Amino acid sequence: MKTPFWIGTALAVVLAGSAAAQELKFAPGQDARFNWKSYEDFKAANANLKGQNLTLFGPWRGEDEVLFNSVLAYFNAATGINGKYSSSENYEQQIVIDTQAGSPPNIAIIPQPGLLADLATKGFLTPLGQENADWVKQNYGAGEGWIRYGTYKGKDGKEAYFGFPFKADFKSMVWYVPENFEEAGYEVPKTMEELIKLSDQIVEDGGVPWCIGLGSGGATGWPATDWVEDMMLRTQTPETYDKWVSNEIKFDDPAVVGAIEEFGKFAKNEKYVSGGVAAVSSTDFRDSPKGLFGIPPKCYLHHQASFVPSFFPPDTKLGTDADFFYLPTYASKPELGTPVLGAGTMFAITKDSPAAKAFIEFLKTPIAHEVWMAQSSFLTPFKGANPDAYANDVMKKQGELLTTATTFRFDASDLMPGKIGAGAFWTGMVDYVGGKDAKTVATDIQKAWDGLK
Amino acid sequence: MNPAVSLRRIGLPRLIVHLSVLVICIIWLIPTIGILVTSFRDAGQIAASGWWTAFTGAAETSAARLGEPSTARQEGANYVISGSVFEQGQSGAVRAFGTRVAAPTEFEAGQAADLGDGEMLTINEDGSYVYTKNAPFDGERGKRVYLSVAAPPSFTLDNYRTVLTSQGIGQSFVNSLTVAIPATIIPILISAFAAYALSWMEFPGRALIIAMVVGLIVVPLQMSLIPLLRMYNEIGNLFGVPSRSYAGIWLAHSAFGMPLAIYLLRNYIAGLPREIIESARVDGASDFEIFVKIILPLSFPALASFSIFQFLWTWNDLLVAMVFLGTGKDQLVLTGALNALLGSMGGKWEILTASAFITIVVPIIVFFALQRYLVRGLLAGSVKGG
Repeated sequence: MKTPFWIGTALAVVLAGSAAAQELKFAPGQDARFNWKSYEDFKAANANLKGQNLTLFGPWRGEDEVLFNSVLAYFNAATGINGKYSSSENYEQQIVIDTQAGSPPNIAIIPQPGLLADLATKGFLTPLGQENADWVKQNYGAGEGWIRYGTYKGKDGKEAYFGFPFKADFKSMVWYVPENFEEAGYEVPKTMEELIKLSDQIVEDGGVPWCIGLGSGGATGWPATDWVEDMMLRTQTPETYDKWVSNEIKFDDPAVVGAIEEFGKFAKNEKYVSGGVAAVSSTDFRDSPKGLFGIPPKCYLHHQASFVPSFFPPDTKLGTDADFFYLPTYASKPELGTPVLGAGTMFAITKDSPAAKAFIEFLKTPIAHEVWMAQSSFLTPFKGANPDAYANDVMKKQGELLTTATTFRFDASDLMPGKIGAGAFWTGMVDYVGGKDAKTVATDIQKAWDGLK
Repeated sequence: MNPAVSLRRIGLPRLIVHLSVLVICIIWLIPTIGILVTSFRDAGQIAASGWWTAFTGAAETSAARLGEPSTARQEGANYVISGSVFEQGQSGAVRAFGTRVAAPTEFEAGQAADLGDGEMLTINEDGSYVYTKNAPFDGERGKRVYLSVAAPPSFTLDNYRTVLTSQGIGQSFVNSLTVAIPATIIPILISAFAAYALSWMEFPGRALIIAMVVGLIVVPLQMSLIPLLRMYNEIGNLFGVPSRSYAGIWLAHSAFGMPLAIYLLRNYIAGLPREIIESARVDGASDFEIFVKIILPLSFPALASFSIFQFLWTWNDLLVAMVFLGTGKDQLVLTGALNALLGSMGGKWEILTASAFITIVVPIIVFFALQRYLVRGLLAGSVKGG
């Protein structure tokens, strides 16, 4: 009985679904928050590409895919190009398979600069040219940093600019529930010292300050790498951070071990973490933030990147039901400024065509950024995009922190070689939380790194 | 009947066997039941409690907001806000309430709670509340209160609705069938021929070929993805046809499935009684006639069990389909489409569990359809006694 019903529903959906694919989310010319002039200019400049095909391949699936398609629709409408985006659960492996086998998409969207560098060395990427690098330098907040993460050695051994950053993630954040803070009379801490004092205060009041969850299936441990990176930027200079990423200073250097121990101050303190230290590595990072909203709350603070609101309970209003503050810096180290840890997705041309070049041009228009800003889970360091376009104040606040950042550093684990940044570093952090000391763990990771050479 | 008598009739050893089979079956089924129950719960419930609590309707703590200060009426010296803590359409029985998140069940339902500052709050079991203060209320938003509500067990079909009505799911269902059916039939057909030749036809190098086929079983599929796709691309370019097509994926699945198929079928076919085949030869049957009229009917159980294998594998496959068919919306197979529903970060249990039961429908139909032949084939062998 079940099957015919099924097929019937399914066919009905197919028929209904194909009709509504290419509608523009915001009608051009209507909303003053958007820079429609940039859309019209782009349209006028790229009128000769009608009917060409463009394939894009990237990491976004589900809701994110719908959001990216809403941006892509503007590009398609403006140029008449038939741009198609697709994704796969194993996109990192798939892009390697596709480029090596000789059937790559036109544009690959990759959040790991380490992987892109690899593809560039093998000669699978088309350089974007100096003019794009200059554009990013001038128009992005901390543009210098962004260019560096898009510049790799090509097949000829010469450095060239390959990755165009679009969509950033902001990681140096602590999430909290304002009403819980209000009720208990807690203040948002301005310095790391205050944050530790607040944590102690919560323990004293009989609560648990932190929810930390490292679980993520095969990638278990990665949330801890964000912690360590943030702590690294708060205890060491950005230059030391860069040397750490390139292994100029060893993983078991006292500077790195110190940062791991800073993380341990929170994660390895039985009274600080919800469920005790044993729960840290077994709690899934997607379930972990839900503790903030428990009644009574399982914790008051949660350190996680800007994507995390999608794992808050449904109907959570950002700004009122949940908010964030910048993970503060030590008052005792004012020379480090306000460093921002982030990540971003890079657009690289894997099969050159006029349409692919036009798409990179499109990413330089404010409208490409604003359309996504006005929806959800999108941040941009592009100074030319109107911050008022952000859908809510929480996103706007994050966006402002990104455009005004003095020091921007990319997620180190995404820059390190895959075996370290997506392997030994993760498992090392699980071992550390599981009871090993920081020095031993760091030495093990360094050994794995030495093994690569 | 006396229990002792019936026990004697069954026999103690048999009883123990039956009981242990029952226990093993139940243990084996627990995860499946868990997934089934979870698929009927909504995301909030799944996050809050385990599936085994779904039937008891435990007390849930939740937050609610009282009316805004602007809705207060003046009654004598007091200001009063009243209403129900439940939104329209909601119901339940309030057991306890509180005004601090750290102590959400401070007061019993119906009890008048003194909140200090001249504020009194009473929340009754039916959800109605009276909130009074001896001075005007201030602030803009209503006061947040916490309730312990005894909620009856509730189940929902929404997860299934979400999955079944998601965009492109019908197309992907058709795609999956288009991949799986030929990818099951082609390798079975070829490997049945091969198995017959390798077991009953004498030719030089036969043993070597068998050894090679067995050796091919251990080649991991992942290793051959890049070379195979490169070959497809070159052929595609040569003839000006797309390199990613159904024909390509059929061939890929057939090739990946065939070493095991040939090995299994050869073992089975080689075990058929030599007398039947030889007497057919004496009667003047050609190899093809022997194959069609004798081997095929006799080896139906083996064919059926292998087609179940192969169908399950191609139906559940994600990797091969993504690589050889592509990742575009119109090329996705069912596993790919359901995977896309989970979003970039995954972790949507409600979608995952409902999808699991939707994908399982087709393999179950295939299994039961072939199960009949499987059992008949086995029985046919057993009564002949041969």
